[in-house]
Amino acid sequence: MLRLDRGRWKRLSAVPLVAAIVAVLVVPGPSQSTASPPAGLECLTAGDNAFELTATGGYAAMPDGNTIYMWSYAAGGGAFQLPGPTLCVTSGVKVTVVLHNSLPEPTSITFPGQVQVLADGQPAQPETDAAGTLTSLTTTAAANTGSVTYTFTAGPPGTYLYQSGTDAQKQVQMGLYGALVVRPAGHPERENDRADSAFDRDREYLYLLGEIDPDLHLAVERKRAYDFTRYKARYFTINGRSMPDTIAPNHADWLPAQPYGALIHIRPYDPVGNPKPALIRYLNAGSVSYPFHPHGSDEQLIARDGRPAQGPGGQDLSYSNFLIDVAPGQTVDTLMIWKDAEHWDPQGNPIPVPLPSLQDQIVGPGPETWFAENPYLGGEPGELPPGVVQNNQCGEYYHVAHSHALEQATNYGASFGGMMTLIRIDPPAGCPA
Amino acid sequence: MTDPVRQPSISRRALLAGVTGLGTWAVLPERGSDAQLRRPAAVLPRAVPNPTASLHLAATDGWVSMPQGAPPISPFWPDPLAPAGADLYVFGFRDVTGLSATEVTAQRGKAQISAPLLGFDQETDIRITLTNLGLSVRPDLTDGHTVHWHGFRNAIPLFDGVPELSISVPIGRDFTYFYRPHDAGTYMYHCHFEDVEHVQMGMTGIVYVRPAQNAGTADVPPGKYVYNDGDGTTRYDREFALMLTEVWAEAHYRDAHIQTTDWTDYKPSFFAFNGRCHPDTLAPNGDPMSAAAGRLRYQPISSLITANAGERVLLRLANLGYQNHTVTADGVDLLVVGKDAALLRGRDGSAEYQVTNTVQIGPGESRDVIFTAPDPGTYLLYDRDLMSLANAGGGRGGQLTEIRVSPPGTLPAQTRANA
Repeated sequence: MLRLDRGRWKRLSAVPLVAAIVAVLVVPGPSQSTASPPAGLECLTAGDNAFELTATGGYAAMPDGNTIYMWSYAAGGGAFQLPGPTLCVTSGVKVTVVLHNSLPEPTSITFPGQVQVLADGQPAQPETDAAGTLTSLTTTAAANTGSVTYTFTAGPPGTYLYQSGTDAQKQVQMGLYGALVVRPAGHPERENDRADSAFDRDREYLYLLGEIDPDLHLAVERKRAYDFTRYKARYFTINGRSMPDTIAPNHADWLPAQPYGALIHIRPYDPVGNPKPALIRYLNAGSVSYPFHPHGSDEQLIARDGRPAQGPGGQDLSYSNFLIDVAPGQTVDTLMIWKDAEHWDPQGNPIPVPLPSLQDQIVGPGPETWFAENPYLGGEPGELPPGVVQNNQCGEYYHVAHSHALEQATNYGASFGGMMTLIRIDPPAGCPA
Repeated sequence: MTDPVRQPSISRRALLAGVTGLGTWAVLPERGSDAQLRRPAAVLPRAVPNPTASLHLAATDGWVSMPQGAPPISPFWPDPLAPAGADLYVFGFRDVTGLSATEVTAQRGKAQISAPLLGFDQETDIRITLTNLGLSVRPDLTDGHTVHWHGFRNAIPLFDGVPELSISVPIGRDFTYFYRPHDAGTYMYHCHFEDVEHVQMGMTGIVYVRPAQNAGTADVPPGKYVYNDGDGTTRYDREFALMLTEVWAEAHYRDAHIQTTDWTDYKPSFFAFNGRCHPDTLAPNGDPMSAAAGRLRYQPISSLITANAGERVLLRLANLGYQNHTVTADGVDLLVVGKDAALLRGRDGSAEYQVTNTVQIGPGESRDVIFTAPDPGTYLLYDRDLMSLANAGGGRGGQLTEIRVSPPGTLPAQTRANA
């Protein structure tokens, strides 16, 4: 029998674990399209700005194992996905959205922030039933096989919701929502027409925030009545996912119906090598405000509801935030960088306090850590207690970003979940592939 | 309440050199040409050692007191396990700076809410040592604790206090966090270990950073300013920090009685300024180390606002509840100058100060608000969400305090915040 000291055993036992993690992180899933970025906003575009969406039902997976029946918008005749695809157009173009309905009741799309929306060539109109009761905020596609064609001219550059306008209290909660991104004409590298809204096009993120009351979804699935006075959200989502699924890549194959991740993946700000900020587009498809708190960096709020933060004379009225409070139906766009302010370095500039030994710290809690057991960006991972999974690849940093209405940062009450994601900061040289 | 121990470790010459550099910063506020360069990098030359401050906090549990006479919430409040004079189980921080190891250990079970009020000067090298004393009522819980400096822009994960992304402090151990604040303004700190629980249980406090401009620059005289504004518009005479929180009595009871809570059922029962509900908000500051402080011994921070007519009064508002609140002051115009530890100015320097009589503040947000003390008299400051003016569902209470204005020259200069 081999005689190995305890530390060596520990190190050896970590090898297959680390290999497995790296394999999972590096090997693309079979469904991952080469055109899809692993993280970040994924646009659905069309040469003629004509989109086909199908309202349909399917299932979304929650991190605690629950599976929720949802309704949402699928691209074309494609499979159910939550949320609907992100439609990207340029300000001023004519946009066509054909809605096909496969749901057992009428449905529709409203385009908040867009004006003069036509439905089948006529101004989109609210609908009422025979008794005169409002049934839809806008023109519907009939149940099961109906369709309706909406057209409008894309408004000012910015971020907008699109969502059901029919029995909206129920249907939007069921998941009938998506994002519309309008880019400034001639300047796709900007959030809006202002030069100071420029961002790194490889660092564009969308946080479509929502919530789920599973009782309502079960009632819809079982075709039972639901009393909205009993409404109680239990899951809180970014792009239809809850932490930790939010940090999984786009199109992770274990989340077949929830294609969009929310991991921010950046490098430290550098005036020469990495001068441009990331852009984060927040949208609230839920029923309460989501006070979103990014750690480790503030964010500059540059636009709200598709309008730049500016004065009548073009003055810059953007402002710095460590808490972005997004009200229901609102959108907020922010620019974000992360500055390596102190440049801690084990040789030249070590941290001025000791890192406690393993027995003097708690790693986790829980089975995983995103800390390399090394305080230095790019440092070699240190030793971990047995059984703790190390998610750190190359000494990158992770900061958390989450709703600070902290009951929303849970999966049905369980901590470190819900409306939460991570900001990953790679060493300046990047991580080896 | 505490101003941390400060060890001057800077020569007069070095200070002048540093202040000259910072003066240059102060006259060029918020004006980067780059979209993101809203704050120039620190200009203190590295050769000049920063002043230092160190502080020792202990994390533990304890018992506090909500207002007497509020209707009971059976069986959750008053908690039958509570010792005499107390009625609510909490977790919290204690300032144990300078105490011996034995004295620190003796603070187990003596948590306070809100946590000690902390103020530091910009560009100070700050060491905050956290000792985890464990929980006296729940020895079965082996929870770690951390300090998360909420809103701090320059913390690496090790010092950010998120246990899943760095480390937390086990019972009986300590860890020293290091911070070097480059940005003035009002922040918060709280434990981030199982934060939905530990924050609700009371591990929340305000920390603020005084601007380098306080030393004076070419454009503004030495004084008290909220930010490096360059023009003196954030000058103030007196400052009062108000931490807004909610208390969900049922969750506190469940923690004391070894039961679990579904946090998505969140439904607060009390609404506090600095860990106290009206009328306790009006009681003077207490000494958490002295039994003579009485019923509010472990809620030592007053929310009573006092000023002489004509003085400029700064309110540092922070919300670590889970709900939005709207602070209003009857008969007083409020000037909002800062949000989230940032001066409200665009990147081109455009002013965004706002005059208002309501300041809405979401969970995790901070606001810096200045008002000019009006004619002598008593003015009310309260949460316009009137449902938050209740104690355990009974009327009159909650997030309400008074602004008491005296004739000019009555009150001596303020020596510390909330005094």
